[in-house]
Amino acid sequence: MSLNFFRRVAFGLSPSDKKPDDPLPWALSQLNTVPDLLWPGSIPAEKELRKKYGEWVYGDREVLRKKFKNDKDEYKKAKDDLRLKTGERYFELNEHAIRHYQTKYSQQPVFERFWLFWGNHFAISEKDFLAEFSTGPYQREIIRPNMVKTFEEMVHSVTTSWCMIHHLDNSESVGPNSRRGLESRDTINENHARELLELHTVSPSAGYTQDDVIQLAYIMTGWGHKWSRKNLETGDVWFDQEKHQKGDKQVLGVKYKNDAKRELGKVIHDLATHPVCIEFVSTKLCRHFITDEPTVEMINPVIEAWNKSNGNLIEIHKAVIKQAFKYNDSTHKFHPPEIWLMQLSRMFDLNIPLSADRMNYNFKSRPTNRQRQLSWILREIGHSPYRAKQPNGWSDVEADWVSPELLLRRFWFASVELPRLVKSGNQSHDFIISCLKNNFDNYESMASLIHQFRFGTTEKDLGRKFGVICNLPGVLKV
Amino acid sequence: MNCTRRNFLIGGSTTLFLSGFFPKLSFASMQKKNLIIISLRGGMDGLTAVPVIGDKRLKKLRKKLILEDVLKLNSDFGLHPKLEIFHELWQNDKAAFVHATNIPYTGRSHFDGQNLMETGAHIPYKEKTGWLGRGLLASDIVGKGLAISLPMPLLLRGVPQNNNFFPSPDFVETKLIDQIYDEFKGDHNELIKSTLDTIRQRPLSMQIATDSDDRKKLALEAAKQLKDQSGPRVAVFELDGFDTHAAQGGVDGAHADELEEVNEIVKILYENLGQAFDNTLILTLTEFGRTIKQNGGYGTEHGYGSAILMAGGLLKKSQVYTDWPGLKKKELFEGRDLHSTIDSRAVYNSAMSMCFDKDPEFLRREVFWGDDLPNLTEELFKI
Repeated sequence: MSLNFFRRVAFGLSPSDKKPDDPLPWALSQLNTVPDLLWPGSIPAEKELRKKYGEWVYGDREVLRKKFKNDKDEYKKAKDDLRLKTGERYFELNEHAIRHYQTKYSQQPVFERFWLFWGNHFAISEKDFLAEFSTGPYQREIIRPNMVKTFEEMVHSVTTSWCMIHHLDNSESVGPNSRRGLESRDTINENHARELLELHTVSPSAGYTQDDVIQLAYIMTGWGHKWSRKNLETGDVWFDQEKHQKGDKQVLGVKYKNDAKRELGKVIHDLATHPVCIEFVSTKLCRHFITDEPTVEMINPVIEAWNKSNGNLIEIHKAVIKQAFKYNDSTHKFHPPEIWLMQLSRMFDLNIPLSADRMNYNFKSRPTNRQRQLSWILREIGHSPYRAKQPNGWSDVEADWVSPELLLRRFWFASVELPRLVKSGNQSHDFIISCLKNNFDNYESMASLIHQFRFGTTEKDLGRKFGVICNLPGVLKV
Repeated sequence: MNCTRRNFLIGGSTTLFLSGFFPKLSFASMQKKNLIIISLRGGMDGLTAVPVIGDKRLKKLRKKLILEDVLKLNSDFGLHPKLEIFHELWQNDKAAFVHATNIPYTGRSHFDGQNLMETGAHIPYKEKTGWLGRGLLASDIVGKGLAISLPMPLLLRGVPQNNNFFPSPDFVETKLIDQIYDEFKGDHNELIKSTLDTIRQRPLSMQIATDSDDRKKLALEAAKQLKDQSGPRVAVFELDGFDTHAAQGGVDGAHADELEEVNEIVKILYENLGQAFDNTLILTLTEFGRTIKQNGGYGTEHGYGSAILMAGGLLKKSQVYTDWPGLKKKELFEGRDLHSTIDSRAVYNSAMSMCFDKDPEFLRREVFWGDDLPNLTEELFKI
């Protein structure tokens, strides 16, 4: 068994991790429970952050835009002040710290890798102020607890979450024959329905038609935020019967009787247990943990586990890990920048994220450079996790992550920025070699590449060492 | 108002005949032709950039967004004073505008709209490649795209080996790049190997760390690359911030700031491409225009029809090319937006046809699924 299994399914081994005697049971045992978030700093609730979101949009849209309509400079200044007061510049930084602290220290790192997977499967892309206030808590409060339930339960929670509903505009969707539709001539917005089919469940392979999208959108009408003058679009999600399309609906050949809010649960059940959905999501899981183009032989055991357990995610995850273990030595997987960073951080015990007390924020001045450091690095290496450009999330295939500039950014990070993150006690050559030994079977040949710099401990020397070893073929991929 | 509706079908059918002769072999086609796209994200207001001075309704609807010192183009249209380089080029037949145009997208979501302006498709997120990438691939032009951004923009995807340029915050030692290159020699990963090749073949000037927020330096470097006869043939710039819901202003408002940036990029390209500017075509791309009427915050909302700003020596002549739909309430799209009477994809398809020396019919089929896009090559470009 090669050591890269610990990077394939997790983040490698830190200097304080005990090397597991038996890697497969070690990995499988991590999936039964949801580990606590370890971040010792503030972990604000989704509801609390949504309130901040509301203060920000209300303050800007309803107050400042009107007050300074003739003066763009004064408007800009007032808006900047409001950003600080509402934490608009801060909360995302804190969310990155929570996330990276978790992947660095969790005793269930395999679970954490699945957490990253699902957060990206049900991605919230860059829209409005979701990254600033809402995507982080969505990952913590919607994705995470559902990872020990069924896939169907996960889909249901995601679909009715404020974050996803706002992201895909379902609040704007009105059944044309609903009371509201007849009054206002408003109609449906198909966005959420389309993505529920295409990205979250059955995928285009199911052969759904535009009419299926429309019918699903009808079923989903009424699910939206509760709008009010004070909270604007940040009110809780509820089912508004007045917007709900009346009558029976039909999706993928299945008829759904007119049943108001209960229609959604029924259609989600059918979509989440659809054979094409099971195949689609199983393939994505194998792509993430095994290789870009997984074979039928790799995927089938996952599908079997899915069917046997009725979509229980614990069992599905275990089947994926067994396959990742089985094919560990015969396949390759290129890791996207954020996972690569998390692995370097854990293997070399880097000084990120910033300590919790230094992450504390006063809501008066701009966050400090140190507070912004992790988020800045993520942006510079091209993988700011809560800012995917599209609802299909960040790509999980190598071709999308290998552009000249994206590779250069990794070289830059490892040779210039990483040395500044090496803890003062960890600068010795011996320490670096011991970290390599923990994680790489060929650590000796890696060590020989940096042997010439063995006596140097300045930032520049460290940069020469890390620049090379972090970008070797066997480190960029497993 | 002198603008009248013209019948495009007539123009379209005469050019069908001509298109049979593509690709034309002429001296011009031996010279490398550059196609540069500047993405204007957020919804560029065509009526702020190229205001219709021949129609009093605009002034009435936008009392607080009036431009004082509009540069005159012709009796119907003016130009925003911040777009001065376009005005200068206009005098020499090297700037032109297409007005009342948009991609065929009438929703008002930035995200769907930006996706569609890049894929050229009808359904958001359905296509995973960009029209420019597909156009390059169909024209057998590989490894000639340059993106001035960190991720490879969707617009350029679909063709391999594009370069991108968005310098990291600090310098990466050549020695390190060489060392990593050596370590990959024995590896089976062809993609990384060829990308490392691209990196190693980059001129030194592209490896020097600059501030990626400094668009001037980026444009300067892009100009250098494009000028090189063996360099890239296509470049993509990204600008955002056109979503001016408030304090849009007139000559000095928020929208003006953005137009100034477009102007800056074009100016740098013009000044540094030298002779190569004559073999260059620059086009803007946006997801939608903005409402005619100003809103409560003296800004505008998401609309429909917008304009394409064009510059370069490959333009036929200075003109505002339009099938003007009018600004009367009943002439507006949904009673609120400038209508789009020209599918902007027809302009992009024709531009690719001219720059890549490919039959527009062929590209229309290969890139835009055979959608009904008239060939505007003859009207807009030097052929």
